[in-house]
Amino acid sequence: MFRNAKSRTALRNRPRGNLRILWIAIIILFAVLLIRLIDMQIINRGDFAEKAQNNRIIQTNLPAVRGLIYDRSGNPLVDNTVSFSASITLSLLPVDEQKRYRLYLQLEKILDLPAIEISNQIEEFEKKISQSGTLIIARNLSHEQALMLEQSTPDLIGVALEMAAQRTYLGGSSLSHILGYMGAQTEIEWEERKTQGYGFNELVGKTGLEAFYENILHGTPGKAVTEINAYGSKIQILDEIAPLPGQNIHLSIDLKLQNHIAELLEQGRGEANIAAAVVMDANTGEILALVSLPNYDNNIFSSANRDEEYKKLINDPNLPLLNWSLNPAAPGSTFKLVTAAAALEEGRATAETSYNVDSLAHEFLGFDGRTYQFFDWRIHGLINLTEAIAWSSNIYFYMLSCGFPREELPGLGDDVEQSAVTLSYYARRFGLGSKTGIDLVASESPGLIPTPEWKRRSRTGPNFAATEREWYYADTCFMGIGQGDVTATPLQIAVMTAAIANNGKLLTPRIATKITDAEGNLIEQKPTVSTKIPVSQKNLEVIREGMRQAVENGSATLAKIEGIQTAGKTGTAEFIASDGTTKEHAWFTGFAPFDSPEIVVTIYLDLGQGSLKASPIAAEIMRYYLSKMRDK
Amino acid sequence: MFRGTQTPQEWARFDYLLVLIALALVAYGLILIHSGSTESGEGLKISFNSPVIRQGIFAIGSLVAMIILSRLDYHALLHYAWWIYGITIFLLILLLIIGQTDFGSTRWFDLGIFQLQPSEFAKISLILILARLISDRGGDLKSLKTLLFSLLLSIPPLFLVFIQPDLGTSIIFITIWVGLVFVAGATRRHLIILGAFFLALIPFIWTFGVEDYQIERISVVLNAEEDPLDSGYNPIQAQIAIGSGGLFGKGLFEGEQTQLNFLKVPTKDFIFSVLGEELGFLGAILLLGLFLLLLWRILRAAQFSGDTAGQLLAVGIVTMILFQLFINIAVNLGIFPVTGLPLPFVSAGGSSLLTLFISLGIVQSVVIHHRAYRQN
Repeated sequence: MFRNAKSRTALRNRPRGNLRILWIAIIILFAVLLIRLIDMQIINRGDFAEKAQNNRIIQTNLPAVRGLIYDRSGNPLVDNTVSFSASITLSLLPVDEQKRYRLYLQLEKILDLPAIEISNQIEEFEKKISQSGTLIIARNLSHEQALMLEQSTPDLIGVALEMAAQRTYLGGSSLSHILGYMGAQTEIEWEERKTQGYGFNELVGKTGLEAFYENILHGTPGKAVTEINAYGSKIQILDEIAPLPGQNIHLSIDLKLQNHIAELLEQGRGEANIAAAVVMDANTGEILALVSLPNYDNNIFSSANRDEEYKKLINDPNLPLLNWSLNPAAPGSTFKLVTAAAALEEGRATAETSYNVDSLAHEFLGFDGRTYQFFDWRIHGLINLTEAIAWSSNIYFYMLSCGFPREELPGLGDDVEQSAVTLSYYARRFGLGSKTGIDLVASESPGLIPTPEWKRRSRTGPNFAATEREWYYADTCFMGIGQGDVTATPLQIAVMTAAIANNGKLLTPRIATKITDAEGNLIEQKPTVSTKIPVSQKNLEVIREGMRQAVENGSATLAKIEGIQTAGKTGTAEFIASDGTTKEHAWFTGFAPFDSPEIVVTIYLDLGQGSLKASPIAAEIMRYYLSKMRDK
Repeated sequence: MFRGTQTPQEWARFDYLLVLIALALVAYGLILIHSGSTESGEGLKISFNSPVIRQGIFAIGSLVAMIILSRLDYHALLHYAWWIYGITIFLLILLLIIGQTDFGSTRWFDLGIFQLQPSEFAKISLILILARLISDRGGDLKSLKTLLFSLLLSIPPLFLVFIQPDLGTSIIFITIWVGLVFVAGATRRHLIILGAFFLALIPFIWTFGVEDYQIERISVVLNAEEDPLDSGYNPIQAQIAIGSGGLFGKGLFEGEQTQLNFLKVPTKDFIFSVLGEELGFLGAILLLGLFLLLLWRILRAAQFSGDTAGQLLAVGIVTMILFQLFINIAVNLGIFPVTGLPLPFVSAGGSSLLTLFISLGIVQSVVIHHRAYRQN
């Protein structure tokens, strides 16, 4: 116990510690805490209270139910269904790049979406749209993916499974170009739409009616103020403004006719890759059918393999995404109707003006002193204007349009250029060379009606020789039969035909006839819009008679139907195909019944002859209309 | 051998006020633990899984330990100080080998129902060994040799805890040593030399001794918004909670930050944020007031102490509690890096509570026995 004794003695020192230093330390440290507490809880309380509020309270958009689209008999053409998507909330993502990437790698396994792509999407969004907020990184998840994601979200902070409405299209592929489809907004679209209450992740109509009537279909989004906890789970809804559902659109399209025509075109197109048909009410401009082949299933845009399918469509040489009824091609002989109207109206011809077309090849000495050799498809003999329309004589229409010096025919104007200008004037009055104004998004082409002025203007620059800018005698001649640089869309040709059929009303075609609200109350009835064309009723009658004879005993007899008189005009337009060979487009445009026209039918096939291929299809459509739809 | 029994007069010197203050802090803690651990409005569940019940049981056990220790002459502890020190070092080494790893650091032995945290007890060991050493060497640190020896003794536990890694507790070891050095009267010259030496050492520690996450946490204090979801998340949410509490708080169980789980570890490291949010500035003042009273009672013991060893024990304990509470609250207020220190007596945690009440037992012993060792 020596050690113990020693330690006990050693331990007994008089305490002489300086305790004041401890008191000073205590006072300083407590003062630091106190000052900081006063700073936080009393002076800056407001800032922190606001942050606490922002922490737990989020404002979300409540998307409105999108309006539906119905055909003329009230059949729904679209439905709203549910789709799953994966979203990322930026404020919940780790800031550390590596940690983020690890998260993306986990997502890659579930979503089949490369991590690098997710990373790019997020960076893009942060740079261009917002530093916070929620971004949908993958849409249209399959059921398994959605399940997997839901199970994993507790581990993947910031990632959520979202359910959103999507469109399901019910009418079949024949409606794909009319209805269009929905897609994510681009930054530019969003810049404009965010002021209207759109969320960035909301889908918008991309083409067709979905795009044209976006504002009507979309409705007014509501708002919800929700309290959430730290894990983002909703605790309670504090305030809510209910969304206003979108309005419904009723179309003049007849679903059965539309599908029937798609089948007819498919069966009758032969070697043609592209086919289009327009059926329009001759008096109101309501579109009963607007078909374009090839078409596509617009439901693929809300399917899991959207990108793959989209790539396929884009790479298809026949461009199925294009609405061919709104895309231009040389109208060929259907344009002769315009030339006839111009000649009649300018007093250069009457119904009885006759020329002798006595050989297949005619030597034309042009006003420019050169000799041109022009051909016709048949020896017509002595024919008047009505017969020239019925038999679609090229030579006759050359004589009308560009004139024939040897026979002292001046053409439509005083000289070659004047003739072209006059013809283009009438073509424009018939609605050619500009958009019809149909209620489908911008994919509509204006086509082209050339003039000497246009040729000079458009063919300047180093790529064109001076001779290419010149307007030649032949330019006017070819223009007179709808060749050369003339192009028109099937819809324009239909509108032109309607103007002839209805005694001179140039109609604005439309697909939607009325708009109703979610309860079915009428909101808007779309009116018939038309302008008058400067062609007299008498002259239009001459043209109609030519078209009647074309079906009765002329070039369009294959369009003839039993028991009722109809009228039509075929067209076979030559064009230089991409392989350099000369090929032909097939056209038919006509109306029925002849006596009191109700519908206009226009058919276009990219390859084939109008009289052989387009006429029978038109006949079948008229037959269907007259027997099945007339009373409705 | 030692005075194992006390005379009635000695029992009368037992500091009841000190115990009452400590128990008030524990009770305060129990309320906050309840608020932090349950959904708002939920009643107390009588289950050993309930952190409130567990803390209550630990408190009762710790109280018993305190009473036993206060009956014991603190010289018995000083007598075995070397042994206690040795065992502590052994446990800390053992912990590195077989300890329980949580959140990247190894701090506990898992004893089934209870996780033993040796670093808590190491604080008392260090206080004991330093008090013993200084007392053995004449009661002060005027000699450089003693000063260096005391530093040498502090390094092993400091190092072993630092590599767990547990930066907070390591800092407490340093403050205990510094506190004792100052109070025990090291010469000004020695202090300046040592201070300069440590300043020169800092760059090396920064480069070789500090983990990335510790640097990150320090930089987060400087700019908490920089990394809101990683190391910055907790301090940001804690500050929002406390700041939004205002003068009167949002009411017990009414704090959105607490009840909607924006605060993490709301029963332990961030329990002060629960207090700040729900009971406000007044609640915080009440807590700080209780701590002030507690420190005063322990310093009173230091004042009363009959000998150097007793005084240094009380001083070490004051330093330990003072810095622990300061660092914990400072972390909550966003003016100190996140270090993972519990708030003394208030935070849930058995080892911490037991250590604190053992310390109070030692303080009681110093008070009770001070007359026996009075050196006049």
